[in-house]
Amino acid sequence: MNLEVEIAGIKLKNPVIAASGTFGFGREYSKLIDISEFGAICTKGITLKKRIGNPQPRLCEVYAGIINSVGLENPGVEAFVNEELPFLKGLDTKIIANINGFTKEEFVELTKILTSLVDMIEVNLSCPNVKEGGMVFGKDPKKVYEITKSVRNVASCPIIVKLTPNVTDITQLAVAAENAGADAISLINTVSAMAIDIETRKPLIKMVTGGLSGPAIKPIAVRMVYECFKKVRIPIIGMGGIMNYKDAIEFFIAGATAIQIGTVNFINPKAVCEIKEGIEAYLERKGFNSIKELVGNINI
Amino acid sequence: MKLLDVEIEENVKIANDIFLLSFESEYLAENFKPGNFVNILIDKESIYPLLRRPFSISFVEGKRVYIGYKVVGKGTKLLSQKSKGEVIDILGPLGNSFLTDTFDGKVAVIGGGVGIFPLLVLCKELKNRGNKVDVFLGFRDLNSMFLVEGFKDICDNTLIATDDGSRGYKGSVVELFKANVSNEEYKVVFCCGPKPMLKAIKNLNLPVKCYASLEEKMACGIGACLCCSIKGKDDKMYHVCSDGPVFDIMEVEIE
Ligand SMILES: Cc1cc2nc3c(=O)[nH]c(=O)nc-3n(C[C@H](O)[C@H](O)[C@H](O)COP(=O)(O)OP(=O)(O)OC[C@H]3O[C@@H](n4cnc5c(N)ncnc54)[C@H](O)[C@@H]3O)c2cc1C
Ligand SMILES: Cc1cc2nc3c(=O)[nH]c(=O)nc-3n(C[C@H](O)[C@H](O)[C@H](O)COP(=O)(O)O)c2cc1C
Ligand code: FES
Repeated sequence: MNLEVEIAGIKLKNPVIAASGTFGFGREYSKLIDISEFGAICTKGITLKKRIGNPQPRLCEVYAGIINSVGLENPGVEAFVNEELPFLKGLDTKIIANINGFTKEEFVELTKILTSLVDMIEVNLSCPNVKEGGMVFGKDPKKVYEITKSVRNVASCPIIVKLTPNVTDITQLAVAAENAGADAISLINTVSAMAIDIETRKPLIKMVTGGLSGPAIKPIAVRMVYECFKKVRIPIIGMGGIMNYKDAIEFFIAGATAIQIGTVNFINPKAVCEIKEGIEAYLERKGFNSIKELVGNINI
Repeated sequence: MKLLDVEIEENVKIANDIFLLSFESEYLAENFKPGNFVNILIDKESIYPLLRRPFSISFVEGKRVYIGYKVVGKGTKLLSQKSKGEVIDILGPLGNSFLTDTFDGKVAVIGGGVGIFPLLVLCKELKNRGNKVDVFLGFRDLNSMFLVEGFKDICDNTLIATDDGSRGYKGSVVELFKANVSNEEYKVVFCCGPKPMLKAIKNLNLPVKCYASLEEKMACGIGACLCCSIKGKDDKMYHVCSDGPVFDIMEVEIE
């Protein structure tokens, strides 16, 4: 069975990608599983300067999901290039760098540094856990266009623009990214959310609100992939609450060319293998010859 | 660190809301160090609870691994309902460990509530290395006491504090420790317990090294998600799951 997919000329041996922020820089999980099983790894979000992230508590669990407010803790691009990238390069999988700027210039700067060092760049215009940049840019189609265009101008590798679900119409962002020259879009980032301890009347996240991920957001994500698939021609990378192969198949049918898996890594580090095998068995059972035949193949 | 499916040998109530779970695992028994923890997936199909739950390894007898826990929420409630023969998915051993050199003198070990669980094996190890060990244990009341006999068998002195005074000193375990610390020249102090207790110990500004096992809400347990970060000196970030859970108490912020 052919599980290979292509995004802007870059071939992934299979469509299962580790989602940014849920897989660190690969090192930790490499002690537990064979990372070459992944089609690609998307790194923890990288910024120009080191960031210490948000105060504790940064995590709480809710029905069928978790809320996090890590706030882009990362060692900065220089440390990433010197200390993390050599390890990642040694793995038999493609590397996607997830980048975060607080101004357009920072996105451009990060792209210039990374474009020749990684296989693709994922421009994160959707982080809900920082006060500037991130989702603040990503909610405005004009800003999405502007930043994507600036990054596109200096990038020699394919660029993926990661979109936020925290808007009324996500397709406007998708179209803006496509018009500005994005090679692909990925969706969705986490959904803005909140939980309160009723005994203390305190929010369970120090920053009050955070980003919801996990099974709770899957139906929202599938709907958004489906809507964007009708509006853009560039490949869509779908994610949000994928726990098993059945969840993954839904995303392909809705129009995703590849998928990212996030929260499930924490629960079942072997999920990638199980999802890959499940996709393969499904395609065989349904008489498809390749994963491409399934993309957007929906019966309405 | 490995993913293991283990079969529950025993899962029994040993005090108010407190359970002791055991299973056989040669790998864990041979590879764990005092202070290590495991991440238990309580139910594979469940979406609430969703995440694994972290628990310290309390002690080991031969190939048998013991985990003590308190029922506090949905996950621990479900865990307490599991019985012999059921299989659970465990990731471990995780984290760093208590430093157990020979200190050539007396060592103080302080535990509060479920923070007591990882200390039994620490005391054992400290004794094996020829140290003298005084242990200070804090419980809510008589009915919530556990493992006390185990500590008495191992330690040179076992001192108890209860909030209501139903056994031992009436008051907090830190007060009990403070009352004793002036007479004893401890070479090093180890502690584990709720944050206010650790904060009070930190505020004592002890003249010797003090190592504390910390807790933070965890998702991955292996250093990948950065949910469990805490600040150290000079804005250095540590991850409780992978740099810890044991830290030099003066090197980290305890909020
Ligand atoms: C390194 C480490 C070792 C621990 N060792 C023990 C032990 O030996 N015995 C014991 O009884 N308890 C221990 N705990 C605390 C134990 O993990 C929590 O009591 C348990 O996760 C609560 O789960 P719940 O579903 O019953 O509670 P809920 O409140 O329903 O849990 C909701 C969420 O919060 C997390 N959570 C809740 N409380 C804690 C906490 N105190 N620390 C970390 N995460 C938490 C859970 O993992 C879950 O994601 C340890 C915690 C850590 C971090
Ligand atoms: C702890 C955590 C940290 C994350 N950090 C990032 C990040 O740095 N950059 C980013 O683009 N997305 C980040 N995300 C979002 C995920 O990549 C993904 O979009 C989201 O979790 C939805 O997928 P899931 O439900 O499979 O987890 C993070 C998610 C989690 C849970
Ligand atoms: S729990 Fe994920 S980094 Fe510690």
